[in-house]
Amino acid sequence: MILAFGHEDPLSFKFLGSSSILDEATSEMRVERSLLTEKAAWLRRECFEMVVRSRKGHFPSSSSCADILVTLMYGGWMRCTAANPRAPDRDRLFISKGHAGMALYPILEDMGFVAKGELLKFTKANGVFKFYPDQSIPGIEAITGSLAHGIGIATGHCLAGRQDGRDFRCYVIVSDGECYEGSTWEAALFASHQRLNRLVVFVDRNGCCILDHTEKCVALDPLAEKWRAFGWNVIEIDAHDVGQIDEALQAAEACTDKPTAIVALSIKGKGVSFMENRPEWHNKMPNEEQIAIARRELDVTTA
Amino acid sequence: MEKPMNEKPLPRDAFIDEVYEYATRDRNIIFITADLGAKALDRFRRDLPGQFFHLGICEQNMIDVAAGLAQNGRIVFVYAMGPFVTLRCLEQIKVALASMHLPCCIIGNGVGYSYDDAGPTHYATEDVACMRSIAGCEVLTVGDTWSARLTARRSCTDPGLRYVRLDRAFLPDAHGEGDDRLWNDGITVVAPGEKTLLLANGSMLQRALEVRSLLAESAPAPAVADLFRTTPIRGDVLRSLTAPFDRLVTIEEHFLSGGSGGAIAEAMADHGISKPLMRIAIPDQYRFDNGGRRYLLELVGLDVRTMADRVREFATN
Repeated sequence: MILAFGHEDPLSFKFLGSSSILDEATSEMRVERSLLTEKAAWLRRECFEMVVRSRKGHFPSSSSCADILVTLMYGGWMRCTAANPRAPDRDRLFISKGHAGMALYPILEDMGFVAKGELLKFTKANGVFKFYPDQSIPGIEAITGSLAHGIGIATGHCLAGRQDGRDFRCYVIVSDGECYEGSTWEAALFASHQRLNRLVVFVDRNGCCILDHTEKCVALDPLAEKWRAFGWNVIEIDAHDVGQIDEALQAAEACTDKPTAIVALSIKGKGVSFMENRPEWHNKMPNEEQIAIARRELDVTTA
Repeated sequence: MEKPMNEKPLPRDAFIDEVYEYATRDRNIIFITADLGAKALDRFRRDLPGQFFHLGICEQNMIDVAAGLAQNGRIVFVYAMGPFVTLRCLEQIKVALASMHLPCCIIGNGVGYSYDDAGPTHYATEDVACMRSIAGCEVLTVGDTWSARLTARRSCTDPGLRYVRLDRAFLPDAHGEGDDRLWNDGITVVAPGEKTLLLANGSMLQRALEVRSLLAESAPAPAVADLFRTTPIRGDVLRSLTAPFDRLVTIEEHFLSGGSGGAIAEAMADHGISKPLMRIAIPDQYRFDNGGRRYLLELVGLDVRTMADRVREFATN
């Protein structure tokens, strides 16, 4: 099934027909950068409303990687189709920071991986979308939530793809907090030794864990240098600039002998002023007054 | 040319050689080690480099990588020493393998005090307890060379999530060749007897046979069964297997808590099998003693004479 950008409603995709060729789907999905930024704003609104409706979820962590997810999914990078979410040639996306897995849910519904209306049932008994993502959800490759599994699992996919002569890519979104886990670095060592150039890791460098800023509890900097020292092709960008995200992905594609780590400097809670860069908002629920402020800032008009 | 195999292949070599035979015909079979070798593994990595990965000493990543490979239809074997391939990466086993219902054969080399000189770091004395609690994971303790081959063969043909415990030392055959009943039933009698049934696994299977011989000098011999599959235990098999006996004894080279004996006790409770049961195992205590495996087993009461005394007393009370 080909996803194409509709003219009447510039922020949604429409099914044009069916095709088993993933490359066609990719080219049809590519959209202009200015619209990607709009799409990211839409994603933040959707994530915030999920939290307001269910009183559950992680908006700040979702918001910090919203532009990355939108660029991957709508910017023509992810070759995947809702019609066949397990196609062997598909590109794979792993939200290793599982608490932000919910950020992919509005996209999966928008693209038709799940039925319309599923978003309203986030965490509900009859809903497909769980608090943390898992492989039972169409479009989700693997369970995450416990940190620092994504790169290792993606590495297994890359090895299988190489053995099969398939050219799919694996994209992994990790938090900077995951860089505290030893298994992140076990995976980083092995992937670079294997020269898995089709593995692309976004390090969502929002600088916050739950109790404090990372540099205050246990310093991670110089974080990009650490990835470089582990043998990765390292690119440092602004996580909220879709142009930079796109260029970094092009650079990753051009790299033929190393996996790529895109260390993306982000703002946790991006878009809601009182949450931005405030660790305490990791999983705190806003009150009515705060909801009103946030909706104004996020341009929520449907509420 | 291949050097002829030692006449007494270690369980790990018997196992890996069997996997090799299947791997030469099926490129989906992948063998991963976290820096543990074996004579048989040298041939595997030389002949099948595309199906062999050395992950470095990184058990956690090994499991995650195995999960990713399994998601792509690979039949994956991961291999390291018993305590490291289980406890070190237990969370990865739970999350990446078990919760995603992925097949993987986790091979733990060195049951109990196998690495006798190494101390508690290398002893596999809690691995059964840990792995029994992983939903959907079979726990198998190999008691002889033949069952090492059987387990390898069935893991190639019927992939599932299993933890396979291999002794570090040579284990003489206790089963008849070609007897797949062990795979189906999980527990089978290897030596007949009456009144008392000894259920033993790993190196303790041979010890139990020695206990049986010793007791047979003065009384009817007890029967001995190979407690090969600790999880899951088939209730119907346990019921029919134990029916002819008055008393049951489990013998294992593992801590008392959560081990194979505990699994039997739970299965008896669950299936309404009511008989006196004595569990012989390593007391829940870390030991730091030189002197070798035989001496260590003596210290914890797993020597043949002490066990025979306990079984005799248990059988007559």
